[in-house]
Amino acid sequence: MLTEGIALSARGVRMEYRDQTTRDRLVAIEKIDLEIAEGEFVSIVGPSGCGKSTFLKVVNGLLPATDGEIEVRPGAKGIPHATVFQDSSLFPWYTVIGNVSYGLVCKGVSRREAYERAKPLIKLVGLDGFESKYPYQLSGGMQQRANLARALTVDPELLLMDEPFAALDAQTREIMQVELLRIWSKAQKTVLFITHQIDEAIFLSDRVVVMSARPGRILADIRIELPRPRALELKRTPEFTAYEDEVWKLISSQLASMGVGGEGASVTDAA
Amino acid sequence: MTAGTDALRPIRNPNARRRRTPIGRWFHYNERLALGLVGLVGFILFWEIGSRVGFVDAFFFSKPSSILAAGINEVQLPRFWTDVEASAFEFVTGYALAVALGVPLGIAFGWYRRLSYMADPWLNLFNSLPRIALLPLLVLWLGLGVESKIAVVFLGAFFSLVIPTVQGVRTVDRRLLDVARSFGASQRRLFTSVVAPSTVPFIATGLRLGLGRALIGVVVGELYAQTQGLGVMIFKASNNIQPDRMFFAIILLTATGIVGVEALRRVERYFDRWRPSLEEAT
Amino acid sequence: MAAGSQPLARRVHPPADDAARPRFAINEPLVYGIIGFVVVLVLWEAVVGLGLVRAALMSSPTRIAAAAVADFRSGAILPHVGTSFLEWGVGFVIAIAVALPLGLALGAFRRVEYVVDPWLSALYATPTVALAPLIILLFGIGVESKFVIVFLEAFVVLTVNTVAGTHAADRRHLDTARSFGASRWLMFRSVIIPSSVPFMITGIRIAAGRAIVGVIVAEFIAANIGIGFYISVNGATLNASRVMLGVLIIGVFGVIVGQLIRRLERRFDKWRPAIH
Repeated sequence: MLTEGIALSARGVRMEYRDQTTRDRLVAIEKIDLEIAEGEFVSIVGPSGCGKSTFLKVVNGLLPATDGEIEVRPGAKGIPHATVFQDSSLFPWYTVIGNVSYGLVCKGVSRREAYERAKPLIKLVGLDGFESKYPYQLSGGMQQRANLARALTVDPELLLMDEPFAALDAQTREIMQVELLRIWSKAQKTVLFITHQIDEAIFLSDRVVVMSARPGRILADIRIELPRPRALELKRTPEFTAYEDEVWKLISSQLASMGVGGEGASVTDAA
Repeated sequence: MTAGTDALRPIRNPNARRRRTPIGRWFHYNERLALGLVGLVGFILFWEIGSRVGFVDAFFFSKPSSILAAGINEVQLPRFWTDVEASAFEFVTGYALAVALGVPLGIAFGWYRRLSYMADPWLNLFNSLPRIALLPLLVLWLGLGVESKIAVVFLGAFFSLVIPTVQGVRTVDRRLLDVARSFGASQRRLFTSVVAPSTVPFIATGLRLGLGRALIGVVVGELYAQTQGLGVMIFKASNNIQPDRMFFAIILLTATGIVGVEALRRVERYFDRWRPSLEEAT
Repeated sequence: MAAGSQPLARRVHPPADDAARPRFAINEPLVYGIIGFVVVLVLWEAVVGLGLVRAALMSSPTRIAAAAVADFRSGAILPHVGTSFLEWGVGFVIAIAVALPLGLALGAFRRVEYVVDPWLSALYATPTVALAPLIILLFGIGVESKFVIVFLEAFVVLTVNTVAGTHAADRRHLDTARSFGASRWLMFRSVIIPSSVPFMITGIRIAAGRAIVGVIVAEFIAANIGIGFYISVNGATLNASRVMLGVLIIGVFGVIVGQLIRRLERRFDKWRPAIH
């Protein structure tokens, strides 16, 4: 059973694969122990292929873990979690409202009621007026707003976000970061956020979890003691840069162990 | 991402995993092959037993063992080999001519914009027209002999080759052309270094489509103007109600199609080995 | 600031140029297309008119036009066109009605698909027109045998394409549906079917052409009415103009069907997931 006030608890999660051609065992995640408190915003960062997306899939129930236990609080509506995927996971054949209400339709809610319940969320993410547009008619940023609304509509306890802003250009990404914090403070959800952008993780989170290169394990769990509400100017304060340095040192040590030039490699290469 | 690659299978918790017998495990990993064999063998047995017991009309549909017997009998007849030779000659000559003319013309139409504008109406007309319909005209012009059949095979394959080739050249990535031009590449180098490699998959598609069309051309050409060949054999076997001989000839054509397409796929894979497969790309 | 930026914008995009360039670019294919079309027709007419080739064999554009006027005015060609259209339509519609649900069902039940897959692949590689003589023997030389031949021609390609479509669903869409706990049926309805629509339409396009081939070949082999019969009879009596008229009618029909399907395709184009 989960302790009071804990939204997610992962204990000893291990993930192994077998390569079907070479029959080799491949350890994607060595061991992850993680607890997230209710209402907390936690990000996971790590070098490419460290298993952070795999971990999210395990939490999501899309992959069976080789070992370990995951518990998620069911939440008020009995729905433990919902996911905001990477770009283009919207169904191109449904309109915005069709996409946003999808999770409710999956739960057996009638279409009309699902549409009614989706409307306030569309407004919350700032897409009112776009209900009957198709995804291809939206910009990348707007698509991810719809994606976020789709996850929020089912009113989950925990929001899982899998590099949701990875495909956006730099400016749109920063706007979306601010937007996400605004929506998060209104919706009051627990968030587990996967990203390869160090500044994104620090800007958004209460805690940043840094993962090692494969096989993945947790290198550090850093509490971000920056005041909220946060604005983009925060990114240029010395406190923020200090956090960035701390995380970047951890990741570059991993890149060096992978044989990638630690000093010379830029932050974005850590994807 | 690692999780998305098909070659990787998650290893489940040993306590939660179902215990399987060795045969069960083999079946689990080779399900597709096993069930395919079941389907293949099952239908042949159904056909064979059905026609023996009587719920399949052996008079029209024969049975696998008779087809096999007819095949063994046929391959010992000189007439059969004359038919095979005639069909093979028409097929190879027509297809080779189509490749030799279709690919260069397709590249030219794709590269020289104005030339392609002029050719477009005719290409579109012929492409939406079953070339088989031209058969009586070809017989009128070229006679009942082997020439009219080569012509219909050629026409069948030619347009299936030209159209994808034109499309391939037209959709060459402009950025790559700009890169080559910025390095001062000559027209010829532009062609060999950018246009040709980008067009390979399109030509390969055309070759595969054309192969099928060429086979249809051989059969229909021979059904229509009956001199000799597998098409004639099929027609005569059908009319004399010898379905076993007919099915044997059709199986030969199917085998030719399958072997041909597979061979082309091998060649394509060689020329296209730098291109990531769809699964790897996502 | 607005005043300062305006002249610059105009210098970058001179309006005169803007208006002139697109119009020429749109017209160019049309202009050259007409040139290409007309040049061939004129050459053809001239070669026949000058007596360089025999008109009985080569016909000519004006002779084909004259044949068209004659046969449409007398109505002699209409039963042929009508019968062929009926054969095509009935066989094709039945094939669509059977193949699309069957293809989807095979996609839904993977194991059943594995069982029938070898036969489907073999049929796909077979020139099925080779079965036409047997089918005519079984069903007679009337329209019934043509329905069957057209059905068979269209059916295989439609089924194969639909099955391929059910496997083409984007992994991200499947994951999304799964993560929201979609039931098996909802997953099929909301992800698999929409993803396979473009493949079905491709199948319909290929099948439409194959169905035309089926009609023509069947009528070549044995018929006493139909456009294929019209072509082959006039071929046997050295009437090249009427042969070409028949071919032209099929060509025009093919173009019309192709355009209709393209329109259908465009309607569903936005369903295709974005490719990166």
